[in-house]
Amino acid sequence: MTAQEVRLCGLLLREHFGEVVEKVGTHLLKCGAQNLRTIIHETGLSVDLVKKSLCVLVQHGASTFSSGRKGPGSPTEYHASCDRILRILRYPRYIYTAKTLYGDTGELIIEELLQRGHTTMSSTVKTVADRLTQNMAEGLTMDYSEVSSTFSKLVETHFLQRCPPLPRVGNKDSSAPSETPAAPGTPAAPVNTAPPTPESFPECYKVPSVTLIGRGKRQLASEDGEEQRSAKRAKMDPETHGDEGIYWQVNFERFHLHFRDQTIISAVANKLDQTSSEIVRTMLRMSEVTTSPMATCTKPLSANEIFRSLPPSYNILRPILDQYLTLLVDDPMEFVGKAGESGGGMFVVNLHRALANLARATLESVVQERFGSRSARIFRLLLRKRHLEQKQVEDFAMIPAKEAKDMLYTLLSQNLVQLQEIPKTPDYAPSRTFYLYTVNQLPTARMLLQSCYKTVANLVERRLFETKESKRLLEKSQRIEAILASLQVSGAEPEQLTEVEEMITAPEKQQLDTLRLHINKLDSAENQVDETIFLLESYINSTNASS
Amino acid sequence: MAEVKVKKETNLSDPVEVENRIKELCQQFPHGITDQVIQNDMPHLEPQQRAMAINKLLSLGQLDLLRNSAGLLYRLKDSQSTSKMKGSDNQEKLVYQIIEDAGNKGIWSRDIRFKSNLPLTEINKILKNLESKKLIKAVKSVAASKKKVYMLYNLQPDRSVTGGAWYSDQDFESEFVEVLNQQCFKFLQSKAEAARDSKQSPMVQRNSSFATSHEVWKYICELGISKVDLSMDDIETILNTLIYDGKVEMTVIAAKEGTVGSVDGQMKLYRGVNTIIQPTGLVKTPCGLCPVFDDCHEGGEISPSNCIYMSEWLDF
Repeated sequence: MTAQEVRLCGLLLREHFGEVVEKVGTHLLKCGAQNLRTIIHETGLSVDLVKKSLCVLVQHGASTFSSGRKGPGSPTEYHASCDRILRILRYPRYIYTAKTLYGDTGELIIEELLQRGHTTMSSTVKTVADRLTQNMAEGLTMDYSEVSSTFSKLVETHFLQRCPPLPRVGNKDSSAPSETPAAPGTPAAPVNTAPPTPESFPECYKVPSVTLIGRGKRQLASEDGEEQRSAKRAKMDPETHGDEGIYWQVNFERFHLHFRDQTIISAVANKLDQTSSEIVRTMLRMSEVTTSPMATCTKPLSANEIFRSLPPSYNILRPILDQYLTLLVDDPMEFVGKAGESGGGMFVVNLHRALANLARATLESVVQERFGSRSARIFRLLLRKRHLEQKQVEDFAMIPAKEAKDMLYTLLSQNLVQLQEIPKTPDYAPSRTFYLYTVNQLPTARMLLQSCYKTVANLVERRLFETKESKRLLEKSQRIEAILASLQVSGAEPEQLTEVEEMITAPEKQQLDTLRLHINKLDSAENQVDETIFLLESYINSTNASS
Repeated sequence: MAEVKVKKETNLSDPVEVENRIKELCQQFPHGITDQVIQNDMPHLEPQQRAMAINKLLSLGQLDLLRNSAGLLYRLKDSQSTSKMKGSDNQEKLVYQIIEDAGNKGIWSRDIRFKSNLPLTEINKILKNLESKKLIKAVKSVAASKKKVYMLYNLQPDRSVTGGAWYSDQDFESEFVEVLNQQCFKFLQSKAEAARDSKQSPMVQRNSSFATSHEVWKYICELGISKVDLSMDDIETILNTLIYDGKVEMTVIAAKEGTVGSVDGQMKLYRGVNTIIQPTGLVKTPCGLCPVFDDCHEGGEISPSNCIYMSEWLDF
């Protein structure tokens, strides 16, 4: 929980949930697990507000509660999870992936779940059906069964999972956090200290038998205002569908595995060719559910299996496939390895090594863009050769001595390169020590990750600043749009409409356009930096797992 | 028979005769003779006389005094070199000898001082003298530009002093290296593209995209962009820089001894490659390249709200 991470989490919480939640959230992040009284006391907010903020955080999985440190019976403590809050940055990517895999229905399901945190299947299906019906042509409605089937597909491929049921106390009926504010002060039953992971429950991915018959309702225009107001408030649906108490959440880990696979496939396509990347894609698809998230490499697959599972559009002959596999194995990047000879050759995808290579390529690209291609040459040289003296660096890189010295010192000052002293005499006299330059990949990756967090926080702040600067203008444009909409609905004449439109002057319009452009640019930049964050985080986590 | 007897009766105690005899012995044994050999040859000679003769020859500069593990050796000096040193005194001869011993690596003036135990002023005078006589020359070392090493006039300086093919007049020729770099890369890239377009089976494709270091060397020599002759080792150093640029990868394969370009039974193959990722997201933002990134925080002089780099980037 570094300062940069806390700053970024604060900004994200403020944008998505408001300032009160931000205050409570950052306080929990900075001070660790605390009970309700302490939070109220230290943040200076009212009991009501703190309770509501904690509800919001728990609903979205950003905070968990457990029994206090002093043993059962002491007040529950709340613990905020920094990782979960940083995932908010990645929501657009999750939604886009769902769209590419499962179409609009999938996209809307994931969007609903991300917005609400934890919901039941029935409520999600209904809301999504309504939204889809909204956008469809007149007279068509979306059937609930279609949405349910997409939901089930998402569960089957593990993109959605059930929230773990919380331990009960006494005869409480509802265990899982529901949409109405529950009293967070109730102490939990004596539990083990580690919170249960969703996957430790056997029914994690079981779709409940839900009776959902019906079609989506198209909303009429007059209901618009009411709908917007009640959207935030929980809909008290009188019907029951047989899945009360079963709440679903998005399985972020599964999405991360998917992203990782995508990156590996595109790397293979860049390095070799399209067919090799298709082969790797097939191998990864076959090992989707059989490989654990922290595995070093996928389960061995025989060449026969791969041949049978290739998509039919790629009809390559068996000997050609063998050649491609041999080439993949021989490649210095070592994406694919050979694990045995049975079944025509057993092949695995080396996940951790692929991640390390990708992280190394990221580091090299950062050095190249920041300092130039010659510094990048020195950086790559040091990565390969580990420890080198200054003279050797100059000789290998074929850069004149003065320039090489300058570049090395710049890299050293930015902490991308470290100096290792090897003394010849015990008194470390400078004239009698060897000074070797070296690059350590893991610490450098961590340092870059922190820079990424700071960069995203900077981008978010700049976006908020730009919005604040033009607040007056934005409000004016919003008012005018509202007036226009109401005039159109009540059937006004074109002259009235143009008169209203002209209330915004041309330079103001231009200013609004530039503002929109800026905001879009900052938004897309945030997403791009998030890709780097994902790569570096996966690499660092993979080294944690194996060590 | 009679002549032999005549020889034997010659008076060998004549100093000139002694010297000549010693010179003949030296010629017989070009590697040098020890005192023992002289003694064996002229057993009746007094050690004093022997010593006197040897000293005379040494001072005349006709004999070289060397030391090996067994003892002292005397060797006949070249008549050519002896003529050079006429008119020089002993100190100069000593200095000259030291410089000669250093071969084509040259020797620094401080080292000469250590070896000869002469004071610095003397050394400088002698070096100037010898230089004016065109017997030695000073060569600037490429490693330390202020350091001058001395070597015999007609010797070629060693590569370590001049830096080899990449240095001309003590200057690193970076443009030359750059040009070579790009040419090699273009050659390998075009080879890889030709292989890719050939649409054959993947194994053949990959193998034809490889080029041995020998092929690259031949191509560069035929291009004729280099004024100096480049060896295969030079080309390999250039190809190594391409590897460090991430544009080329190398494999080593075993090759028969006889095939062209193989060194010690193996050949190095190079081929052009692409990078595995696009430039990463962080560097697409101004913060990723910002020189004052560490000084930037909200509310400070440099902050995201008033960042000029961001303003320029947004208006781009």
